[in-house]
Amino acid sequence: MAILNGLRITDFCWIGAGAYATKILADFGADVIKIENTERIDSLRMAAPYKDGKPGINRSGYFADRNSSKRSLTLDMKHPRSRELVLDLIRQSDIVANNFTPGVMERFGLSYSEVRAVKPDIIYLSMSMQGAQGPERDYSGYGASMVALTGLQHLSGLPERDGAGPGTNYPDHVPNPCHATFAILAAIRHRRRTGEGQWIDLAQIEPTIALLGPTVLDLTVNDRRHERQGNAHGYAAPHGVYRCEGDDRWIAISVKTDEQWRGLQCALGSPTWAADQQWADARTRGEHASELNRLIEGETTRWKAETLMEACQTESVPAGVVQTSADVVNTDPQLAWRKHWIRLDHPEMGDSLYSAPPFRYSRTPVELRAPAPLLGQHTREICQTLLGLSDSEIDALVADKVLC
Amino acid sequence: MSNQAPSQTERPGALTGLRVLDLSGDLGNYCGKLFADMGADVILIEPPSGSELRFEPPFIGNMPALENSLSFAYHNTSKRGVTLDLDTATGQAMFKELAARAEVIIETSKPGTMARRGLCAESIHRLYPQIVYTSITPFGSTGPYAHYEADDITALAMGGLLYLGGYADTAPIRVYGKQAILCANMFASVATMLAVLEAEAGGLGQHVDVSMQEAVSMALETSVQYLDLEGLVRKRHAGEQRFAGTGVYPCLDGQIYLMAGGVGANKFWERTVQWFNDEQMPGTEAFQGDSWKHIEYLRSDEAKAIFEKVFVPWSRTKTKGYLYHEGQRRKIPIAPISETSDLLSSRQLAFRRYFVEVLRNGHSLLMPGAPYKLDRTPWRIQRPAPLLGQHNTEVYGEIGISLDELTRLFSRRII
Repeated sequence: MAILNGLRITDFCWIGAGAYATKILADFGADVIKIENTERIDSLRMAAPYKDGKPGINRSGYFADRNSSKRSLTLDMKHPRSRELVLDLIRQSDIVANNFTPGVMERFGLSYSEVRAVKPDIIYLSMSMQGAQGPERDYSGYGASMVALTGLQHLSGLPERDGAGPGTNYPDHVPNPCHATFAILAAIRHRRRTGEGQWIDLAQIEPTIALLGPTVLDLTVNDRRHERQGNAHGYAAPHGVYRCEGDDRWIAISVKTDEQWRGLQCALGSPTWAADQQWADARTRGEHASELNRLIEGETTRWKAETLMEACQTESVPAGVVQTSADVVNTDPQLAWRKHWIRLDHPEMGDSLYSAPPFRYSRTPVELRAPAPLLGQHTREICQTLLGLSDSEIDALVADKVLC
Repeated sequence: MSNQAPSQTERPGALTGLRVLDLSGDLGNYCGKLFADMGADVILIEPPSGSELRFEPPFIGNMPALENSLSFAYHNTSKRGVTLDLDTATGQAMFKELAARAEVIIETSKPGTMARRGLCAESIHRLYPQIVYTSITPFGSTGPYAHYEADDITALAMGGLLYLGGYADTAPIRVYGKQAILCANMFASVATMLAVLEAEAGGLGQHVDVSMQEAVSMALETSVQYLDLEGLVRKRHAGEQRFAGTGVYPCLDGQIYLMAGGVGANKFWERTVQWFNDEQMPGTEAFQGDSWKHIEYLRSDEAKAIFEKVFVPWSRTKTKGYLYHEGQRRKIPIAPISETSDLLSSRQLAFRRYFVEVLRNGHSLLMPGAPYKLDRTPWRIQRPAPLLGQHNTEVYGEIGISLDELTRLFSRRII
């Protein structure tokens, strides 16, 4: 039996981070009911890539990836009759989640206090960009805004160029989903032990800043400002990304000890320049890192990245191919061994690729329960089974545009 | 803690009563911190020479010393700390005594190390089947790369995120700040907590096998879907406008990130043009016409060039603070490109009492605080990160080891 079997979530999350958090709960057995609206669809449904490159509300891979195992109920929250239906669902739910800016749930008549009035032990997750209170509570943004606000944009990249950031809306993909899920799971434990629900307020910039602890402390304690340093490392050299044979092929190598430096020399076939005694000294390697990097790249360009990685690993030197999406999906033997890639048959997209959660249990299977739902795919079944509505009542709600 | 309301400190954390043995280094210390700051009793078990993070900069006053690492001080808040040599038979026996009273073990040693010590998940589960035993390793406990060495940059590479970082005309460039290691920590906390819920309900723990490479691969955004659905390999593109009006632009005192066009954002474009008109920005007549309402046009080089030509001369006369607050007032998703110092002066973070002061070893450490606010079971730093062996007497006392015995263990360098 899945770990979160029996748990139900009325889920207002949309777009990035919120949807990824509730996806984790859904993959582990929770019944996550995604509240959607055909008039104002989750904009991720209209975000590329699409199956065969053809746009469509049920064809986005971006949406599918973070909505596996969920059910979709389409409902117009602006219709006066929707609130009662949702409250009926919430009475049968353990968690209500949203990632709106503050005020939206209030406009729906679904603030924490209103929800708690009908379901006293509810766990209520809000995850706006800036949190529920404060002078900037109404400010909104997306993953890229958070990359900017938290400092990651400024801190990543080359010193002589503009900040590059992580290359993705990173806070949406790992920091916010993981922190939100951890908080929910902890709140579930507390509720089991005490019967008490609670309100979790996660401001989406805050988990990412929490990942920058030592950088903040270096500033507050030592008054040292960190700046971009590309792929260089504060105290280790060589450390970086080196070009290999082929088109846009690269290897990352990290040498932190003298032993690893000797290992790297061996792996590279003991080039004569490397035998120069000056490089045996870690301080010299650090002070002349750019020259050293040039010399190393003179070697690596003659290597296939995969072959050089093996040679380095044989010498216990941390080295890894800078893998593309094609590498991780098609050729990486380790991810294949762990069965990281899962193919699911989506009703419109057909056979398509999903990723498993990045951990395995010795006893509990780790698998996805279903592909992402079509828009409104489960409206009727949820109305029948959970809301106790007859077919004619459902038809009337559809005709009145309550269900949509 | 100076920044906690007194009424909140009385409430127990959500993970009260959960005992965690944290044997980890970098790959698991943040995971242990998440448990500890949520109220669990996390015991950090270090080798007698100290854990690897103690040797990692930055150091207080730039002075390298066992108790000066700010990385260690941050990633080990709220934990108690003991020393124990797990490579000795006595140390291994003592660990089993500690495990008898624990619900969770977090370890990050190389695959095979705990088995050599007789302390692998299987051995521990034979003694204590209730324990959730989490191993966090670079590639997972088994498989063709299980024995491979990795650190942050090589794991970013192998997980596929590094390829997406950096500029189109340079080598791939990594995201700042050990994010691969942190991805492993974050997913380990979720994985462990799921297993804890299951174990508390059913009485049986299990082995949790977390892979850093796999954790990184969760951050690839649409990259694998582009491959699967459209046959395209996504590359890096830092510094380029994604659409006209969406990207990083210069301003008087730095840069801002504007998102006037893009994901379902047509209304942002209209508000942005209205804003420019209200500001009487020269040249905004260029944005008239229906073509600007179409995402395909916003993606064109022509549109991007026109936007820059009109917007940038004006934006260079405004501060990032002005642009941020005025744009947000108009409900346009605009954000400053913050430096770390901007976070410390943010009125929003100050209002939320985000940064907390922790007194440790005579130093006042101002650090990031709660990543979430739980109103009934508040996040709370229970205590500063432990000094080396600080809680030896207390913790070993709890398993009945006398002070005399501790003295002998100390002399033999087992603790």
